Amino acid sequence: MVSSRVIRNLKKEFRQSGLAKLGLALVVLILLTAVFAPFIAPHNPTDQQLDQSELPPIGFSETSERTSSQMVDGEIQTVTEEVEVTADPDHVFGTDGLGRDMFSRVVYGARTSLVVGVLGTVLAASIGVPVGLLAGYHRGRVDDALMRIADVSLAFPSLVLAVALIGLWGRAAVNVPDPFVVAGLAPEMPESFVLPITVVIVVGLVNWVWFARVARGEALSLRGQEYVKASRALGADDNTIILRHVLPNAITPIIVLGTVQVAAIILLESSLSFLGFSGTTLSWGFDIAQGRDYVSSGQWWIASIPGLAIMLSVIGINLLGDWLRDALDPGIEGEGGAA
Amino acid sequence: MSLGRFALKRSLQGIGVVWGVVTVVFALRFVTPGSPINAVAPLDASQETRQAIAAELGLDQPLYIQYGQYIFDLLQGDMGRSYIRGQEVTTLVFERLPATVELAIAASVVAIVLAIPLGVISATNRNDPVDYGATLLSLGGISTPNFWLGIMLILIFAVEFNIFNTSGRGVDVGDVALSVANAEPFVGTLLTWLAYITLPAIALGTYFMALITRLTRSGMLDELSKGYVQAARAKGLPRTLIRYKHALRNTLIPVITVLGLQLGTLIGGAVITEAVFSWPGLGTLVIESINNRDWPALQGSLIIIGTSFVLVNILVDVVYAYLDPEVVND
Repeated sequence: MVSSRVIRNLKKEFRQSGLAKLGLALVVLILLTAVFAPFIAPHNPTDQQLDQSELPPIGFSETSERTSSQMVDGEIQTVTEEVEVTADPDHVFGTDGLGRDMFSRVVYGARTSLVVGVLGTVLAASIGVPVGLLAGYHRGRVDDALMRIADVSLAFPSLVLAVALIGLWGRAAVNVPDPFVVAGLAPEMPESFVLPITVVIVVGLVNWVWFARVARGEALSLRGQEYVKASRALGADDNTIILRHVLPNAITPIIVLGTVQVAAIILLESSLSFLGFSGTTLSWGFDIAQGRDYVSSGQWWIASIPGLAIMLSVIGINLLGDWLRDALDPGIEGEGGAA
Repeated sequence: MSLGRFALKRSLQGIGVVWGVVTVVFALRFVTPGSPINAVAPLDASQETRQAIAAELGLDQPLYIQYGQYIFDLLQGDMGRSYIRGQEVTTLVFERLPATVELAIAASVVAIVLAIPLGVISATNRNDPVDYGATLLSLGGISTPNFWLGIMLILIFAVEFNIFNTSGRGVDVGDVALSVANAEPFVGTLLTWLAYITLPAIALGTYFMALITRLTRSGMLDELSKGYVQAARAKGLPRTLIRYKHALRNTLIPVITVLGLQLGTLIGGAVITEAVFSWPGLGTLVIESINNRDWPALQGSLIIIGTSFVLVNILVDVVYAYLDPEVVND
């Protein structure tokens, strides 16, 4: 459990490690952005202003050549003209192909990523941890069955399985009213947050097995401990022992894994959105897919900027994970870190 | 237990897992809303037509008969016909598989060749600028979405500098090998091959390079602090020998296990990398089949992906057992 020794180790590691500080700063920044998105975003992220499309980010104004065809005296002529594309201070990161403000989209994208990352991890853990603890504690047939299911589950790459399930089940989404907008504090902003519920369920379902593996390993090593034996000798039933003695002592590696999983699920969500298997259009992966069509025509920022946002969030969470791992040393190097 | 018996035992377990994979893939159709008939029948098909289609596809049979038939056909290498293309799924899948395998191997080679030296240099020069550089590089690598990296590579190397091709496969590696074997001028073919495969291989391999660098670094640091290293130093063995023969060998054992576990990520990554670079592999086929509800093609691709994962993991376990004979007795 979280003892004073654990806190001491965490603090010590945090003081010594610059990367841990950077990680915490990034995660806090992204959390605040996601929560207070309606106040941070200068524009409604879904508002299209076609007369302001494809504006470059500030500092990247440029002149480019545009070729158009015109009818002159009954003949088609191609006219090449110099066009000055000037950045608009109102759109810090520029605008996309439909004139939506990139900065506002990046801010709102943080919500989708974090909510899917956290809810997906919670779902994966709430399936995987009980199953893993029961299997590791009881061993025998339950354990054999779990390990076989885990083997089969691992044989399907998360992304492939997720794409298949979402493609087949549909892309359901729930509109969650945004409390700030409902309260009238940010009237210009979207009234509700689109929660891609199928994506949350599917990423939870495809990642539970990592939690089951780690929880099982912990339960296997804890079941032989003296305090577990003592508790059993005193007549405690198995479920009480698992809940009171095994789970608290297995929690450290589960938390470390959970952190890494949030990062992995954010990457998975962005991949799904990129491939068009999501329930929302307000997602970094979706914007990268949109921006991909503009890469060869010079509007590099539409695809680049959301990717930087993903990268910074995932770096932040991974650094946080490294900090927890180095401070708590749960011995699960490299487990479950991938999308 | 001998290594041979261990390999046999793992293979038998592997067959069990493959059976599980097949069962899950078969069951997928029954937890999905909508009948597969809809994918084949025209929208205005009459009830009779629909029944005729169901009978032709065997969908009117009881579930256990369908399952038995599916397994029976599968054992003979028959995965049915694609609803959309009308082609044998087995042919279709094995046409696509080499492209994916080629991409995955190229990415792994890029990753391993760069990562292991980088991890070792990083660990043996701890807290030097080179260590910080490698640490930051690998942190970035595990945090970058590979599809985005692919697009950025296209932006820089294909759009700005026009060096590489960004779409399709060009020639396959077999053509290159053939030119070399026939003593033909092969440089042109080789360059074409490289022009197509380099960017996707980097996009897919970067995550693994970063992961292996991190694992090698922390593993090496761990090993170098152990007693046997000091004993070897005290005995007067040269430092390079201790590092590269003893410590690195022990470091690679856990690295191999993690790589086996992460193989699914490599295949999943290949799916999305293929989408970015229009690489004609299994990944593109999976996505097309899902969008078209082409059940036989989807089932076939998933089974091949799952089976490849199981096969490679058996291989990894046997290599592991060879490197660390203790596991055989576990």
